[in-house]
Amino acid sequence: MNLVNPSQNQRSKRLPELLVPALLGALILVYFAIPFAAFLARTGTTNVIAGLSTPESQIAIRNSLLTAPVSTAIATVFGVPLAYVLARRSFVGKRFVEALVILPLIVPPVVGGAMLLTAVGRFTPIGAAAAAVGISLTDSLIGVILAQTFVAAPFVIITARAGFGAVEERLEQASRSLGYGPLSTFWNVSLPLARGSIVAGIILTFARAIGEFGATMMVAYNPRTMPTRIWVDFIAGGIDSIAPLALALLGITLAVLAIVQRFGRVPTVIDQ
Amino acid sequence: MSLEVDQLTHSYGTELAVDSVSFGLEEGELVALIGPSGCGKTTIVQAIAGHVQPTAGRISLRGRDVTGEPPEERHVGIVFQQPTLYPHMCVSENVAYGLTARGLDRQQRTQRVNQYLELVDLCDQRDTYPSELSGGQQRRVEVARALAPQPDVLLLDEPLSALDRQLRERLREEIARIQDETGVTTLFVTHDQEEAMALADRLLVMNDGHISGSGTPRTLYRSPRTQFVASFLGRSNTFSATVVARKPLILRVGEREFTRSDEVVTVPEGTSVTCHVRPADVSIRPPARTVADETVLSLPGEVVSVADIGCRYDVTVQTTTGHEFVVETAERSPREGDKRTIELPRDRITVFESGGGGRGGSTALPETSF
Repeated sequence: MNLVNPSQNQRSKRLPELLVPALLGALILVYFAIPFAAFLARTGTTNVIAGLSTPESQIAIRNSLLTAPVSTAIATVFGVPLAYVLARRSFVGKRFVEALVILPLIVPPVVGGAMLLTAVGRFTPIGAAAAAVGISLTDSLIGVILAQTFVAAPFVIITARAGFGAVEERLEQASRSLGYGPLSTFWNVSLPLARGSIVAGIILTFARAIGEFGATMMVAYNPRTMPTRIWVDFIAGGIDSIAPLALALLGITLAVLAIVQRFGRVPTVIDQ
Repeated sequence: MSLEVDQLTHSYGTELAVDSVSFGLEEGELVALIGPSGCGKTTIVQAIAGHVQPTAGRISLRGRDVTGEPPEERHVGIVFQQPTLYPHMCVSENVAYGLTARGLDRQQRTQRVNQYLELVDLCDQRDTYPSELSGGQQRRVEVARALAPQPDVLLLDEPLSALDRQLRERLREEIARIQDETGVTTLFVTHDQEEAMALADRLLVMNDGHISGSGTPRTLYRSPRTQFVASFLGRSNTFSATVVARKPLILRVGEREFTRSDEVVTVPEGTSVTCHVRPADVSIRPPARTVADETVLSLPGEVVSVADIGCRYDVTVQTTTGHEFVVETAERSPREGDKRTIELPRDRITVFESGGGGRGGSTALPETSF
């Protein structure tokens, strides 16, 4: 036994423990990085500014920037309270509700879009009623928002639920005993303490919403958003023609991630 | 009366946690609710605070029925076993939190925060965040936060259980001082009998959803009303005896008979009863030195084991009657296998009618607290 240098001895014992998971992890990291690198290498020479200044691209960017924040806001306003209820109460049918929350995640987006069409399409009762008052639920920006919300909302619900679940219920009870009602307690205690998870959920929802393609294509192929525009351009002109919009989409998502992390003081999306 | 709990019953599903419990707290009293884990103590506290809606029963605060009221309208201060300081607020914001809800203006709030931080001796930590405080400091801030809105009743739900022994003892003294200075009516919940006896004016001993005994620490210790109280509060030796006569009560243990004239039983002669005596009350002598003494019950036996506790010896003696007794002695200990006689002072033997667990009569003892 080496008694002279126990720290060295300890290190030599520890290294192999992490070697295998680190190597396996490195492989998946490489798999993530290669397509990014290859795509950027190929598109680096394309004139991004020129590509983005076409009227079609401008409309697509505008539509995406209009719809994704609205979808994210809807998902947050209705999803966070649901997450709180799921984290705090047991009730009959809770498993059914939980399954319903996960359903849009496991259904392929294109199928989700088809399901939405059967619910809000022009010739369904809901779609016809909306059309009667002049609102088109398909092939409109509202249609885009419906598709994005359906597909992206589960992210904020699931993440916020985990955040509320990690807030000890006694902290809320202490607040109630100190004179605050359930709503003020939620606002003063539960919400600030679950903030990190909620912000992470909002980022994930926004990233999913702005990148939404499958369901949007079914519900609102027109007006074009950035993903549907990318698809149309790809069919017509191949990889090189989509580079400007693809980079812009990536840029917007990264910018939102950075801004929200900066102001939400969240270290990373995953490390909560 | 500051707090009155009347016929409180609560079930979780089909499991009865609290069964028709009634008690009251007088203004300024410090009462300890004590019992083993899972006996229903926390459910009672939660029902008083309004965090649990009881299945049946009534809770009144200063004569006002609050059973149906939400927690925020009850004016009850509560400190839980787990820390509940708000990590996103500094010490003074935590203490001021309950004051904002009660509508105090900024100046009154500052004054009140200062007053209560001074009470718990944490004025220098006012801008510190809870994560930077020690375990003991966190507890003191929680007490200050619970007391600052000047509640009708302070509920302390095992506030010291998660701390190490030394800190627990120090904070126990601190709680006694704070309660004395503020005069707040306090219900202190614990499973630690030493803690309860050292702090409380009065004990409520709970077992399995019921109140098993109530009284000053000394009365309950010296003259327990039920077998559970006898065994839960301090150490206890139990042995069976047979009723020979009822008035006066004469009992037989093996071949020995003894009188317990101030005890009363309702069971017929010839019935077996359970007797209880504290290890500290029993003395141990070599057989030759035993003299006939009317005030003690002498039982010959043999030492079966000796445990050295440091400050004393715990000597276990098996008597010829077939009972085992633990005797606490500070004197030089006998060895295993030595023949010894144990002496039980008759007036320290409590008699319980077997099976029911309750006592037929009581020994009149002056009510003094530690």
